[in-house]
Amino acid sequence: MISTLQPPRSLSHFRSNPTLLLRYTSLKPLSSLSSQPVTHSTITDQSQSPNPPSHSQILSTRHSLLSRHLTATQLAESFLTRLRLTEPHLRSFLHVSDSVLAQARELDEKIQRNEELGPLAGVLVAIKDNICTAEMPSTAGSRVLEGYTPPYDATAVRKIKELGGIVVGKTNLDEFGMGSTTEASAYQVTANPWDISRVPGGSSGGSAAAVSARQCMVSLGSDTGGSVRQPASFCGVVGLKPTYGRVSRFGLMAYASSLDVIGCFGTSVADAGILLHAISGHDRLDATSSKREVPDFSAQFVSMNLLESKPLKGLRIGLIRETLDDGVDTGVTSAVRTAALHLEELGCCVTEVSLPSFSLGLPAYYILASSESSSNLSRYDGVRYGNRVAADELNSQYMDSRAKGFGSEVKRRILTGTYALSAGYYDAYYKRAQQVRTVIQKSFKTALDEHDILISPAAPSAAYKIVEKKNDPLAMYAGDIMTVNVNLAGLPAMVLPCGFVEGGPAGLPVGLQMIGAAFDEGKLLKVAHIFEQTLQNCRFVPPLIADEVA
Amino acid sequence: MGSRALLLVKGVSSSSLPKNQLFCNFNCKSHFPRPNNNWVRTNCSTTQSSGPSLEPPDLPRLAQTARISLTPHEVEEFAPKIGLVIDWFGQLQDVDLQSVEPSIRADTEGDSFRADIPETFENREAMIAAVPNYEEPYIKVPKVLNKE
Repeated sequence: MISTLQPPRSLSHFRSNPTLLLRYTSLKPLSSLSSQPVTHSTITDQSQSPNPPSHSQILSTRHSLLSRHLTATQLAESFLTRLRLTEPHLRSFLHVSDSVLAQARELDEKIQRNEELGPLAGVLVAIKDNICTAEMPSTAGSRVLEGYTPPYDATAVRKIKELGGIVVGKTNLDEFGMGSTTEASAYQVTANPWDISRVPGGSSGGSAAAVSARQCMVSLGSDTGGSVRQPASFCGVVGLKPTYGRVSRFGLMAYASSLDVIGCFGTSVADAGILLHAISGHDRLDATSSKREVPDFSAQFVSMNLLESKPLKGLRIGLIRETLDDGVDTGVTSAVRTAALHLEELGCCVTEVSLPSFSLGLPAYYILASSESSSNLSRYDGVRYGNRVAADELNSQYMDSRAKGFGSEVKRRILTGTYALSAGYYDAYYKRAQQVRTVIQKSFKTALDEHDILISPAAPSAAYKIVEKKNDPLAMYAGDIMTVNVNLAGLPAMVLPCGFVEGGPAGLPVGLQMIGAAFDEGKLLKVAHIFEQTLQNCRFVPPLIADEVA
Repeated sequence: MGSRALLLVKGVSSSSLPKNQLFCNFNCKSHFPRPNNNWVRTNCSTTQSSGPSLEPPDLPRLAQTARISLTPHEVEEFAPKIGLVIDWFGQLQDVDLQSVEPSIRADTEGDSFRADIPETFENREAMIAAVPNYEEPYIKVPKVLNKE
């Protein structure tokens, strides 16, 4: 039904690329190294098709465990082996748990005793390191918290554990979430699995790279201005930023409280949706979490063979005109336009929609984020936790602990925010930015009254080279133009891979962003799932995995 | 957790801490981010200019206010970068925003504050263990001088 759809012309060689099948099958967790090859694809029978749609690793895991095709220990071992092999190239983890196998064995014993399994039983989850975990260090990528282990789990982490998920480790990030490349980590630079000379995006670059390279099944990130969606786009995975208030932020280290949310990564739309469902809901420990009921998102996932020819008939989609302007790479624009054609083939009515205030969102976002960070990060003073520099006087202790503990980008944002909040400047900066937020909220509301969802690129370019933008903050900030407005409006948005541009050994993935009305994640997931299941000629498995196994 | 712990600081009652921006900054988190809360304005006696005459950033003074020591090299490196960003922020000055209400955050849900009743944190010992310098029952810090 979508046979008329063409991939971007420059990449048409992907269609006949004989290695695609090979790459897919080599995803069998290290079958060449394991005496007992284990793979989901043999179970789900998808290995028959040269381009099977992305399947849910969470559901496959459940199926494998319940049908006793695989043990949780086998699954965990295969992922840990791949993690160990790929980690020297990627450096996506700041900490790897040493209790994964023990937890898997415990789960296998439960299965043997026919005990009830949680919906995430055996699912291997990585957690961004600015989300607190009681049994693992949580540094937020900062020296100021080096060696710090929080006394509690974030609510999102607690829920994952309660549902049976196994935390694999803590992933790298730009310090406190401040960056778009993961180069601003105090500890290491994470590489993009599609081309290790490129950045994975940021700030949740470690969580995106880990899922992309199948070092874990799903992961948590945080999204203040695009920190889940942009790395999802760069790494060719699904990234889901929920509505502000949908997920408790208790245990998320605050960066900009009016914007921060916890989000999900997966290799399929279904996995991102299942993980979101697991962590959503009101939490008395976070006054900004919503009391709204959390719908069963998985009810939105219609099986491929039940789809009619126009499964999205009548759905109104707005393509945001301002996101296809100058300054956006032509490869990205063409991939997104191709995705729009695909949606039309599925029955959607796609029209262009203008959000005239779109470009104002970027400076407004950076004013709000740096201002709020200057207040939020005042807690890192070396008194109650974190690293302290000895001094003979309290003020020097504050100043030296913070000087030694924070990296350059964090210091600059705190200083910028301190300036914007200075006496007499509040009206000129912070208040004006809040007024711009009102304007943007209203323009989104108007656009979403006329359309079911809005679409745009996730970033103006595909992944760029490490160091390319490191010393030019404004150039890096400009890359956030596609995503920051969504945070200002608090709306849910998903990024899913939709095509490729040239670059690296096997092309670089491009993400399509879908934006929905507040608390309407269900519709986003439904549309994204159908889009994903019907997308032809694209396998978003990075070459690194095949190379490693070969 | 913050304010309670700070009250334990040895030999220091909250009233003897310096009444400067930092103090407020560390203890008034619940006030943030309300647009009408102008603690910065009332507590920071640095620049009183208002209206269109916005001074460029004075980095050493900002660093003092933010409690971050900067090396001369950092001042040299940061000043142009921060200057560029603040110039770029300036584009909002030209936008007509009259009669537009500011939004303190996404307008997705009303506040749902819990009752203002103290609760005991379960894992108190682990929290105390994270304190860099602790002498039961105090968090120990060096001498407090009010330079202002």
